[in-house]
Amino acid sequence: MRKGREVYHLKDLKHLIYFENLLEEANNELVQQAQAEGKLAIGYTCYHIPEVLLNLGSCFSVRLRAPRTGSIDMATYYMSNYTCEFARALLERSIEGGYNFLDGLAGVDACSMMNRFYEHFELLKLNEKPKMFVSHVDVPFKIEDYTIRQYVKQMKHRLLNYMEDNYHVDTSDAALRKAVEEHNEVCRIISEIGEMRALENPPVTGYEFHILNLVSYTCPKYLILPLLRETLAEIKAREADDKPWYRARVAIVGSEIDDPSLTKMIEEAGAFVVSDRYCYGSTPGREVIELNDTDDVLTQICEHYMRHSECARYIADDKVLQRRETADKLAKKFHADGIIYEQMKFCDYWGFERALVSHIMNEEYGWPVLSIDRPYNARTSGQLRTRFQAFVESLEIKRIHQAKEAASNG
Amino acid sequence: MAETKFPNPSFWRYKDHIDWKAQAKNLKEVGGIIGDMLRETDWRAVAARHKKNLTLTGKRIADEAKAFAAMSNDERKDVILNGEKKLGKLYRSGCMATVRREWRGVGDTAYDFYEWLRMWGMFLGTFSKDLVPSLNATLYYRWMISYFCAHSFMDKNTLGQRGSALRMSHLLIYDIFRYVAENLVFLAKCDEKNGNATELNKKVVLFDEMTMGQIMAGFPDLLGIPYQLLPVFLVSEVDQLTCVPYIDAVESFGLPSDTCPVPSSECGAIVTDALPHMGSCFISSSMPCDGSTMASSYMARRFPNLPVFHLTFPVRYEYEETVEDAAEDIKHCIKFIEETTGAKWNWDAYFKQMKRFNLETQYELQKWEVNQTPYPQLIGPCYELFRKWNYEMDGGADPRVIKTFEKVNKIMLEAYEKREEAWRGKMKYRAIVWSCPAHYYANLTNWIANCWGVDVLVEMESLNFTRPLETEDKELALQDLARLYERMVMRRHTNGGYHNVVNELWRQCEIWKVDMILMYQNVACKNMATLQGLLDEQARQKDYKMVWIEHDLMDPRTVSRRAMRDKINEFMYTVMGATPIDESLVDFEDDATW
Repeated sequence: MRKGREVYHLKDLKHLIYFENLLEEANNELVQQAQAEGKLAIGYTCYHIPEVLLNLGSCFSVRLRAPRTGSIDMATYYMSNYTCEFARALLERSIEGGYNFLDGLAGVDACSMMNRFYEHFELLKLNEKPKMFVSHVDVPFKIEDYTIRQYVKQMKHRLLNYMEDNYHVDTSDAALRKAVEEHNEVCRIISEIGEMRALENPPVTGYEFHILNLVSYTCPKYLILPLLRETLAEIKAREADDKPWYRARVAIVGSEIDDPSLTKMIEEAGAFVVSDRYCYGSTPGREVIELNDTDDVLTQICEHYMRHSECARYIADDKVLQRRETADKLAKKFHADGIIYEQMKFCDYWGFERALVSHIMNEEYGWPVLSIDRPYNARTSGQLRTRFQAFVESLEIKRIHQAKEAASNG
Repeated sequence: MAETKFPNPSFWRYKDHIDWKAQAKNLKEVGGIIGDMLRETDWRAVAARHKKNLTLTGKRIADEAKAFAAMSNDERKDVILNGEKKLGKLYRSGCMATVRREWRGVGDTAYDFYEWLRMWGMFLGTFSKDLVPSLNATLYYRWMISYFCAHSFMDKNTLGQRGSALRMSHLLIYDIFRYVAENLVFLAKCDEKNGNATELNKKVVLFDEMTMGQIMAGFPDLLGIPYQLLPVFLVSEVDQLTCVPYIDAVESFGLPSDTCPVPSSECGAIVTDALPHMGSCFISSSMPCDGSTMASSYMARRFPNLPVFHLTFPVRYEYEETVEDAAEDIKHCIKFIEETTGAKWNWDAYFKQMKRFNLETQYELQKWEVNQTPYPQLIGPCYELFRKWNYEMDGGADPRVIKTFEKVNKIMLEAYEKREEAWRGKMKYRAIVWSCPAHYYANLTNWIANCWGVDVLVEMESLNFTRPLETEDKELALQDLARLYERMVMRRHTNGGYHNVVNELWRQCEIWKVDMILMYQNVACKNMATLQGLLDEQARQKDYKMVWIEHDLMDPRTVSRRAMRDKINEFMYTVMGATPIDESLVDFEDDATW
C-alpha cells in the first residue's frame, strides 16, 4: 500500500484510490452522477433508520459524514463545546452548505445531540430545496411486540409517508422487496470480504475493509455495486504476504467511526483491525435481510433492524447482554487478541456503556481491553497513537508469557 | 372507598430480621475508623480553630451590640419587629453552619422556632417507629448523616422570609421532610444490611431516578419508593458535598466526567455500594435523558437478581400516534408489578388518588395565577421544591398533603388581598428560571431575592402537565397517565423537540411578564447545551435580558456557589444597572457550608 508508514505489503486494490476520493466528500462523484440521472439523495446518520427504506424508487441513501473536518466553531456556537463532535461536525458542514445536495434528511430522535443537529438543520434552513424534508422518527428502547408495532408505525408515518407525499415514491411491498434484494447483494459482498479478516494471513487489511464498507454506505447502491463486485473478485484472487504483517489482532467496539484514518492509525501501530462493531461499521449494517412470504414486509425489515441493532440506547436486559455477547463472538470468530472499546467524546450512551463493559469484557470474558474516548477527528491525536502502540505491546507481551507458560507446562 | 392512613400503617409493623453479628462486625469497623480519625486528628489545630471561632464570635456579638446601640429608636424598633437586614453576616468562611439563626423579628422568629421544633418532633416521632435500623443505617451510609443538616436546609431556604411567605414555606417544606423521614425509615427497615424486613420487602416496588410515583396509586397495598431519591438526588440539595465521593468513584471506574452528575452519582453510589439492598422489583426508566437511560445497566449489574421492568416512553411525546404505545408500556408495567408482587391493580384506588392529584393541580394553577399578577405571593426555594416533589413523588398519594394545599392557598389568597410582598422591601425585578438548577445551590433563588431583589416567579421544572387526568374511563386514564409520565420534570422541556424548551421559554416570559431570565447551564446537560446558540440568538432578537449561570448540578467543585453568584453579580451591575439590596450578600464564602 502506498500511504502512511510501510506496514502493509499487499498489492494496491485497483479502485482503492477512487474509493478514498469518494470518501473525501459527502456529495461525491457517484452521488452527483445519480442526482444528474434524476435520483433523489436522502441523508441519514443512524442505524435506527433502516437504510433499505431510503433506497426505494428514485431515492438513494447517503449516510452522512463530515470528511476533512477542521474548525467546528459555528456549530459550537449553536451546540456548545460539551457536545458530540460528530453532531457538531455535521452541523458545521451543513452551515457551510455541504449538504445542500440532499433531497431529504431521515432523522431519528434516538440520541439527543444528533437530534439537535437535525433540528438545527431544519430551523436554520440549511437546505432550501422546495420539497426537502427532515424527519424526526421516534424509536423504541426495547424489543416487545408492541414496540415493534410502534417502530413500524413510526417508519410509516414519519418517513415513508414523507417520501410518498414529497416525491411520490412507491413504498409498496414489491418496491420494498426490490430494495432489499439490492441491499442484500451489497451486504453479501461486504460480508464476504469481511469474513476474510478471520484468516491468519488475510488478503485484505482493516483499513481497506473500512474504506469498502464506508463507500457502500455513502454512495448510491446501483453505482457502487459493480465496483464492489469487481473488488471482491480482486481480493479473492489477491496474493497475501508471505507472513502476516501485523503484531496483534484487535476488534473494535463502540460508537460512531466514519474516519478510516483511525483504523489506519491503529494498523500503523501494528494491530490488525479484524472486526468493526461500531456505528457505520459492518456490524450491524451489513447483515442480509431475510424476508419470508407471509408477514408484512415493512414489519420484517423493521424487526431485522431492531434485532440486529447494537446501540447502547437499547435498555432492556436482553439487548444489554446481546451487546456483550456480540463483542465476544466477533472477537473469537476473528481471532482477536484484544478488544478496543471506544466512544466519541461526549457520547452519553457509549460513555456509560464503555466504562462498565470494558471492565466486564476483561473480568468476565477474559479479553484484554483498551478503553478510549476520542475526538471525531482523531487522525492527529498523538495521545491515541501512543495508547494504541502500548496496547499492541501489551498484547505481544501477553502472548510471549502465554507461550512461555505453555512451554513450561510441557 | 374509606380513607386509609398514609403511609399504610401495616408497613411499619412488619418485623425486622436484623443480623446482629453483622451489625457488631460493622460497628467494630466503624469504631476502628473513628478511632483512626481521632488518632490522626491534629488536636492543636482543632483547638486553635475553636479558639479563633470563639474570638470571632465574641467580636461578632460586640459588633452587633455596637451596631444596635448606634441605631435610632425607629431603626431599633424595626429590627426588633421585622428582623435583621444584613444576612451575609450569618456566614463565616470555612464553617458548615451559619454563625447563628436569623433574627426575623419577634413574631416571625417565634413562629420559625416553632416550626424548627415541629420538624424535630416529626423526625423523632417518625424515626422512633423503627429506630434501630435507622440508627444502624447511619453507620453504613454517609448520605444518612447528611440528613442531620435538614434543619439547616430549611433555614437557608427560608432566609429573609417574613410573615405569610415564611408560613407558607414552612408548611410546604414540612411535608417534604415528613416524606423524607418516613422513607428513610423504610429504606433502613428494608435494607438487607439493616432492618432486613423480608415481608415488607415483598411489598416494595423501587422506582428509578425521577420516575413518577403515580402508577402506584393503583396498588394501595404496595409501597413505591423512588430508589435513588434519598441516597443521591435529594440529599445533594441538603448537603452540597454528599455526592462528591460517588462522582469520584465512578469517574475512577472509567465514566467520563462530562456525563450528567445525576446518573453519574447514582452509578457512583452503586459502585461504592451506597444503596440499600431491598425491594421486590425495580422499575427502571429511560427518562429523562440519555445518561439516565444508561444508568439502568449499572443497576442490573449490581442487583442481578432484582426483577426489572424498563419503562420507556416515546421521546417525541407530542406525536399523537405514540400515545397508545406509551399507554401500552404502562399496561405492561402494571402487569409486571402484579406478577412480581402478587398484588392486583385497583382502579378505584387509582381514580381516587388521581382525583386528589387533579385537585392539587388546581391549587397549583391558582398559585401561578397569583404569581402572574403584579403581587406574587408564593415564591422561593421551598415552593419550588414542593412543586417538583408533589408532581413527581407524591402525586396525590398522601391525603395529608391536600390539607397543606388548602392551608397554603388560604394564606396566599389572604396575603394577595392585602397586597403583601413575598419578600418585604425586596421586590424589584421579576424573573423566570430556565433549565435545571444546581442541586448544591437549591436556595439560589432565595439569595438573589435577598441580595438583589430579584423574585423568581416560576421555574421551568414547575411548568409541567396540568391537564386534569381522566378518572372514569380506564383506557383514557392509562393514556393520560402516559401523557403525565412523558411530561415529567425536565423531560417535558428537554425531550420532544427544541420548541418545548426554546419557544416555550418565550411564551412563558410573556405570561409571567418577566424582566429577566436566569438561564442555568448544567455543564453536563447535553439536551440543553445543544440549544445554547439558539437561546442566545433568540433572546437577543426578542430583547430579553438573560444571564447564563454555569454549574455542575451535584459537583460544587467544578463551579462553586460563589462562582455562580459572581456571574449574577456582574450581570446585575453591568446589564441591569442594579444596586444590591443587601451588600453583605454580594460576596461571601460558603464552599464548606451545607
